[in-house]
Amino acid sequence: MNTIINVKKISKSYSKGLLALDNVSLKVNQGKVLVIMGPSGSGKSTLIRTFNGLETFDSGEIDILGIKINENYNERRIQKIRKRVGMVFQQFNLFPHLSILDNITLAPLNVQKRSRVDAEEFGMYLLNQMGISSHAKKYPSQLSGGEQQRVAIARALALKPELLLFDEPTSALDPERINEVLDVMKKLAQDGMTMIVVTHEINFAKDVSDQILLMDSGKVIETSTPDIFFSNAKHERSRKFLNQLDK
Amino acid sequence: MQLKKTKKYLQKLRGILFLNSLNNFLTILLISTILILSLRSFNWFIFNAKWSVITTNIPLFAFGTFPSDQRWRPIIWIVSLLIISLLSIIPPKWKWFQKNLIIAWIGMIPLGIFLLYGGLGLQTVMSRNFGGLTLTILLTICSSIFALPIGIGLAFGRQSSLFVVKKLSSMYIDSMRAVPLIAVLFFGQLLIPLFLPLGIEIDRVWRAIFAFTLFVSAYIAEDIRGGLQAIPNTQLESAKSLGLNQFQIIRFILIPQSLRIALPALTNQVIGLFQNTSLMSILGLVELLGVGRSILANPKFIGQYIEVYIWLASVYWLICTIMALIAKYLEKRLKIA
Amino acid sequence: MKSYKTIFFQIIIILLFILLFGFLINNLIINLIRTDLGFNFSWLLKPASFALAEHALPYSPSDSYAWALFIGLLNSLKVIFISLFLSTILGTIIGLSRTGNNILLKIISSSYITIIRQTPLLLQLMFWYFVGFLGIKNNFIYFSNLIKINNQGIEFFGLSLTSEFSALIIGLSVFTSAFIGEVIRGGIISVPKGQWESYRSLGLTEKNGLIKVIIPQALPAIVPGLTNQYLNLAKNSTLAIAIGYSDIYAINDTIINQTGRAIECFIILLLTFLILNLFITNFMETINKLVHKKKIYIN
Repeated sequence: MNTIINVKKISKSYSKGLLALDNVSLKVNQGKVLVIMGPSGSGKSTLIRTFNGLETFDSGEIDILGIKINENYNERRIQKIRKRVGMVFQQFNLFPHLSILDNITLAPLNVQKRSRVDAEEFGMYLLNQMGISSHAKKYPSQLSGGEQQRVAIARALALKPELLLFDEPTSALDPERINEVLDVMKKLAQDGMTMIVVTHEINFAKDVSDQILLMDSGKVIETSTPDIFFSNAKHERSRKFLNQLDK
Repeated sequence: MQLKKTKKYLQKLRGILFLNSLNNFLTILLISTILILSLRSFNWFIFNAKWSVITTNIPLFAFGTFPSDQRWRPIIWIVSLLIISLLSIIPPKWKWFQKNLIIAWIGMIPLGIFLLYGGLGLQTVMSRNFGGLTLTILLTICSSIFALPIGIGLAFGRQSSLFVVKKLSSMYIDSMRAVPLIAVLFFGQLLIPLFLPLGIEIDRVWRAIFAFTLFVSAYIAEDIRGGLQAIPNTQLESAKSLGLNQFQIIRFILIPQSLRIALPALTNQVIGLFQNTSLMSILGLVELLGVGRSILANPKFIGQYIEVYIWLASVYWLICTIMALIAKYLEKRLKIA
Repeated sequence: MKSYKTIFFQIIIILLFILLFGFLINNLIINLIRTDLGFNFSWLLKPASFALAEHALPYSPSDSYAWALFIGLLNSLKVIFISLFLSTILGTIIGLSRTGNNILLKIISSSYITIIRQTPLLLQLMFWYFVGFLGIKNNFIYFSNLIKINNQGIEFFGLSLTSEFSALIIGLSVFTSAFIGEVIRGGIISVPKGQWESYRSLGLTEKNGLIKVIIPQALPAIVPGLTNQYLNLAKNSTLAIAIGYSDIYAINDTIINQTGRAIECFIILLLTFLILNLFITNFMETINKLVHKKKIYIN
């Protein structure tokens, strides 16, 4: 079993002495799904963004797909990581001036240097999988939130990544739309994709994840399997958090 | 311990400056060019420049040819302007102050006219003896204060439902904004006398102020129009549902809100106006730039372009920076982003 | 359903306006009669009897005033179009430097912008002319007869440009580039931050990301500001008179000095700039439409 990502004690502080990340460590093996939960401001987004270099950190080391990064920002290594790791954002961040298909083929064409025929074929295949191939020539503003997010997932998948990062993928969606996105994510997990998901969706966490990580104020409070976490969490803080969610 | 800290700092610096090979090359090129230029300028500054051209002419730069024994008059005026500016930024917490501040600003004009022109006990000074920074400030302040109400009027005129008012305002604004400032100033000097009845004369300074006012008011009108458009409709709806009539809405909602939103643009206009007063130096007024030009025409100071230009540039730059800071404080006080 | 009040009000305003207008015109006519000038345009065909240092088409003092004005217009257009081009290129470099990653470039471009925007254009033009060109003692740059820069001007692969013209275009371009730089910067920072993260997480290089993702979205915000700066540049070109370049305004000025025909010349100048204004505005409007074709899809 390969270790896809191994985070070793990373910390990040803001100038006022506040710690965004406090000695965070975690490990995710191939094909496994890690769900990160926690109150807002706990550092979940910051953490996941350090994995593909969108955030830097001040100490510690991350070993991701065999590439090691530390507190010194190394442009070349980060670029290598980004070619193999995909990210889906809370605000979709589709390119509004490009069509759906162009959104999906932009990176394969320019980063992986694939041919247009290949890229478009694979793009249409992905859109088909999501059930939205009819939208290929439309523009993002013409799609609903749920559809846009599925396009964003397709865009990340077009690079055939070995790891997918999700930063609160359903938090900006209407309640009716959340499930269509979660279903896509479930299927990806079933097909063996290694995923790290920051989310508040407990049901998803219960059904799909192999590991739960709870964060608060930059620290890892608890990390355990979903069975243990949801029925008999080890730490007081975890139980408090779960009680809040139930309300 | 210190060594480790500096090592870390250097590594960070390296990360910032030397991101990749293109950046490396660029950074090295830039740093070496800057070093060479700075050393040469520094050398010239200290050893070759003859700064006496500036130091011996400071009164000229400040007051023009104002009689030397009367110089305390423009000094008083400028100092009171500074005081009022300071009070506008950091006002004392007295209630009556807010209202009277506007009156105080408007009052600066008669005060200036009295102190500069004389009369009523003070020795009269002809306006052709106004010059230097004093004249620049006079032109800027008077034109700005006159142009503001005219600009507000034009802005509302442009939105008016009355066809005639709308057309006249639009035509005025669009023509003024299409022509170069120097043309307006030149024709102001030349043509204003032609439109006046026999016997009435306006001196050159006032012709200039008139021309500047006409010009700037069109730009102010456009800035305020932008401010008006940025006021959310919900404001108007609330005002109307409270029963306010058209004039009250204009006075209590539209004017204050649009001024607040347009404040950055308006302060930019004043700063631009301050710089544009320099155009009068080619049209016969000896304001700050004009003093510089006349000094350079003096055979005693021939060829000392660099010293004079650097001095003038520094004065303009410094005062513009001060104005920009005042503007920023004003915006903060009125709580604009 | 216009109420009588508004119509009444408008009539009053028209009457007041006519009164004011009439009063002014009356004085004007009296003064014109006094100075024995009258108002006509027939003098345009009389010989100009002044020489011009620069003319794109053949010109001699025996040519008419009208021709002299036309030459002036051509001179202005030469300066304006070249400066538009140069200032846009320079301004783009400055704007991108301000928003880029290189801190040194950021500092340099910020200082550049603040110095240029806070000193009068006239002073800058005088600097470029008197210190920049006339102050050169020997040949400043001399590349085997291909490129020569000295106090006579610039010689550029056989094309020779006078020092007045060169100082004017350099001064105008440098000045306007500082403002264009700010416009471009404003456009770039108006693009939502998520777009930057998006293309980076896809592995696109900074260059590709800028060209394919950020700039297309920044353009709709840039074009109006750019139009404004272009119009300003056209108006600012009239400062040519301060350094001895014969643009339309300078020639207009000379003619007034010679003939005293202030009103007619004022009208000519006014019309010229109104037309120039319309031309530039319409051209930029076309560009705006092109850029906005994509904007329909951007919320």
